[in-house]
This record gives sequence, C-alpha cells and structure tokens, in this order.
Amino acid sequence: MRPVVVIGLGNLLLSDEGVGVHVIRALEEQAERFPDVDLLDLGGGGMSVLHAISGRRKAILVDCALMGEPPGMLRRFAPEDIRTVKALSGFSLHEGDLVRLLELSRELGQAPEEVVVFGIQPAHVFPGQELSPALQGRLQEYVDRVVAELGSAAPA
Amino acid sequence: MSEVTSNVEINVHHVTRVEGHGNIRLRIRDGKVEQLEWQVPEAPRFFEAMVCGRKWDEVQAVTCRICGICSVSHSLAALKAIEDALDIAISEQTDRLRLLAMYGEQIESHFLHVGYLVAPDLAGVKSVLPLAASHPEVVRAVIRCHKLGNTIMEVLGGRRTHPMAMRPGGFGKLPTEGDLRALRDGIEQTWPDAKLVVDTVLSLAGKLPAFERPTEYIALVEPGRYPFNHGSIGSTDTKQPVPVQEYKSVVNEHVVAQSTAKWAKWHRDSYMVGALARYKLNHKELLPKAVETARAFGLTPKACNPFLNSVAQAVEAVQVMEHSLVVLDELLTTGIEPEKPQVKPKAGWGVGAVEAPRGILFHNYTFDERGICTAANLVIPTNQNHANIQKDMEALVPQIMDRPQDEIRLLLEMLVRAYDPCISCSTHYLDVEFI
Repeated sequence: MRPVVVIGLGNLLLSDEGVGVHVIRALEEQAERFPDVDLLDLGGGGMSVLHAISGRRKAILVDCALMGEPPGMLRRFAPEDIRTVKALSGFSLHEGDLVRLLELSRELGQAPEEVVVFGIQPAHVFPGQELSPALQGRLQEYVDRVVAELGSAAPA
Repeated sequence: MSEVTSNVEINVHHVTRVEGHGNIRLRIRDGKVEQLEWQVPEAPRFFEAMVCGRKWDEVQAVTCRICGICSVSHSLAALKAIEDALDIAISEQTDRLRLLAMYGEQIESHFLHVGYLVAPDLAGVKSVLPLAASHPEVVRAVIRCHKLGNTIMEVLGGRRTHPMAMRPGGFGKLPTEGDLRALRDGIEQTWPDAKLVVDTVLSLAGKLPAFERPTEYIALVEPGRYPFNHGSIGSTDTKQPVPVQEYKSVVNEHVVAQSTAKWAKWHRDSYMVGALARYKLNHKELLPKAVETARAFGLTPKACNPFLNSVAQAVEAVQVMEHSLVVLDELLTTGIEPEKPQVKPKAGWGVGAVEAPRGILFHNYTFDERGICTAANLVIPTNQNHANIQKDMEALVPQIMDRPQDEIRLLLEMLVRAYDPCISCSTHYLDVEFI
C-alpha cells in the first residue's frame, strides 16, 4: 500500500455526479509520475473509502459537491472546514455521505494524518454518461489541481 | 397521553436538492388512520435506456455502475441474461468464481446492514457514529468483515467497486491460485470478527419488534443448494417453481397512485424478497455454522416477522463465509485453468436472475443479429418489496397507534430499514456548507 491515495467518487452514469471518476481516469494516464500514489476509482462504493484511506499518510478525495458555487467551480477543503447538510433518510445503505464516513474513520482512529477534499460543483446530475460542458471544459484544471496537491504531498 | 395517541402526523420526507428518498406518510385523526403511505420515487429505469444501443460486450460497463452496493449482482444478472440470449455456455470454473464474487457482495452488504443500520436501532442510538464511541471493537469488527467482502470482490472483479473482470462467457482477468489461497486465509482470520458481530446482534435481538404478517416469499430455488446465482423462481405459496424466463408472470408489475415506482404481486397483494425469503425457501441447504446461527436466534422457517430479515442476513453472512471456503477448496483442488471465452453474436432474447443481497434481481435483454441490445428490462428487489412494505405498515400501525408519535415513527422507519431499500443508490455527491 502506498502512503498517498487519490480517490475519485461518483456515478459515471449520472453525468457530473461522476466527475471524481473522470479525474481519476485522466490521472491514470500519467500514473508513472506518481510512484508513491495509489489512484482509485471507487465509483459508487462509498463505504470502501474507509478501507482505502485506512493506514495512509494522506488521502485526497475528488467528488461532486453541492456547495452553492457556480457550476464547474472547484474548492479544496479539509473535513474540518465544512459541515454536511446532506439529508439522509437513514433507510438504506445506498445513500452515502463522505463527510460522515470521514468522521467514522476518525472516531475509529483509522484516518490518515491529512485528508484533502476537492469538491466540484455540478451543473447537472441526471442520467447521462458525459460531463456537462461546464465541467468537461475544466477537467484539465481539476487534474492539474490534484497534480499540484500531489507535488506538495511528496515527503520532505 | 391521549392527545398524543389520538392524533399523529408523521412525514419522514427528506427534501434533498437532487433526488428523492422514500417517504412515510401517516396521519391519524381522532384515533382513525386517515392516511398511511409508503411513497417511493422510481428506481433506476433510466439505466435501461443506456443499455439499449450497446453491443453485447459493452452492456457490462453500464450495468456494473448502476449501484455501488450491488454491483456484482447487477453485473452477474446482466451477464446471465446476455449468455441466455446469445447461447453462451460457461465453464464450471467461471461459475464458481462468479459465485465467490457474489459471496463477497453478500458478506459486505449483510455485515454493513446489520452492523450500521440495524444495530444502532437495537442499541437505541441514532447512527453508527455513537456506536463507534460506545462499542468501537464491534464497529471495527463490522468494518473488517466489510473489508473481507470488499477484498473478495476486488480479487474476483479485478477492481474495488465495479467488477470489470467478469465478462460474457468468462473472466477477462483470472485470479491466481495465490490470490485464492489469500482469500481463504482472509476468511479464516475473519471468523472471530464475524462471530463478534453476530453475537452482538444476538444480544440485542430481543429488541426486534414482535410483529407478524404472513405474506408470500419469493427467491431462487435449486435442489441441493442455497442458491444465489442459479435456479428457478420459488415461492412459499406454490410448490411449482417457475423458470426465470417467465419472471414477468411472477412480478406482475403494476402502477399505484402513491408511488412512481411500480409495485409487484404474484399470488397475493404483495410479496417479500431478500434474506428472509431465501432462508424460508432454502433453509434445508444451510451449512452447519449457519444452522447453528439460526438456532441461536430462534429463527425458524415459519417466521413471518419482516424485522427478522436482519437475523436472516446474519445467518446468510455466516453461510456464505462457510460456503466460500468449500468453493475455494474446490477451485484450488482443480487449479485455475486459463480460458478464452469465444462468443459469436446473434439475435436473441434472454433473462438473467440472481439473488442480490436485497433479493431476487432480474435483467432481461433483447439483441439484434449484430449483438446490439434493442430492449432492456430490469426488475430490482426493492421494487418487488414496496407493496409488501405498504401492507406491513397497514398491519403494524393499528397495533402500535396508541404509542407516542416518536415511537410509532421509529418503528415504521425500522420496518423500512429491515428491507434496506435501494432508493438512492445512484448518487454519492457531497452536500456541504463551509464553516
């Protein structure tokens, strides 16, 4: 297991919801640049995040995020910078909330030293396999931001 | 107290900014039930449209993304439907490896459901977070069991969440014998964790509501097996199983006013699918540790309490761990043989049925002579359970309506949780505000 992990989350069948996975796919094309980094497409498997981050030094998560920003806007934040306002019915395992999952990981003492989230505001979340133009046009920027973050993740 | 009991207004609606969740609406006026509805948005019909127009070997790329929890089940149901339509035979090795992948998904899903959703209810806390503070060793055990399931799926599926290695006719990438031996060790090492989780649920099982409502139970059946990936459609209401190709005569999907999701019925107004249905129909085929687990809980084939679905999940979690060892030993005895699936596209119509963690799942595709999908129909377990949830509520509410509103609400929510409906499987976006 490598010390740093980048995880892309989301459903590729719901347009901008899958942006995290699109970013991972783009990063995979230059994977040899990051020998100490695991690049993971966890898709809709939210709970797997717990295992994927456990024991790492740093985890970078890329996910579609409703943040009240203009579509396409990327924001970098740490879990302590935000609070979740996601309404869960509590009926089902099928609804996921990364924020609560990271809380659980911390509660169990399994969270990495550093967790960074790149939230990307969607233009739309509905059935479709393409990103909206607003996000597609900025995909390279998202990738560059993660690459820059990885640069700062290198051990001193 | 009389004020509380004669008028009740429950509306468990969570308005989210993107999607709908299930909603319970209950209104009691002057001791009379005026409205009681389990309302649900349509489940993933739109995936059917995405499959249409795709080639037989591209369908899997869509179906494995439908759901992050049931990705193996959706993949395998699709593969079986494609193989049925195109007359593709699979080897015994492929069949065994697929069964193991299914077991990985059952392990992951059942332990999570029991540990994350049901145990907090029984322990009287709101979610798994307080449980992690009060019972960290149990939550860690749940997570290790989940991880075992995850690892099995990863080894068989070729990746963590969405199993791309499974293809029509076989595997694109086969696991090595070393992989399989490591899985075997992993299962053996996880038994103490599984036991801790099961024992914890057992210690709380007295808190499961005592409520019974006989209904029809439907699951795959196959002589000599507790099946997940084979068989015919069995029911507790008939001794004559039906071939999976006749699934439409079983599910009888129909539209109801209170829900955009279609409902299902066969011999009665509703039926139940899932772990309890499988247990009732196939309990004679359970292995010794699973039998022992059922006995410890006092679970019998006569059970008709939907809350016992969670107990049946615990029994099945033990069963699939136990049977995984048998399947792994069979595979390690014969050795892993390389194979190259040969498929010749042709026109055809086919059905695939598997037991997803939440119950029987059907995929049905039509292909033209080039092997392009021209029609698709997916019937997911949750849709088959909706009518049964409604009927359970109608029977349960008169028994509990003299209780405080919060308690009525909790019991109704627990009832829905027992079914673990897949009502918002498709999105995992964040919804946050900055502090």
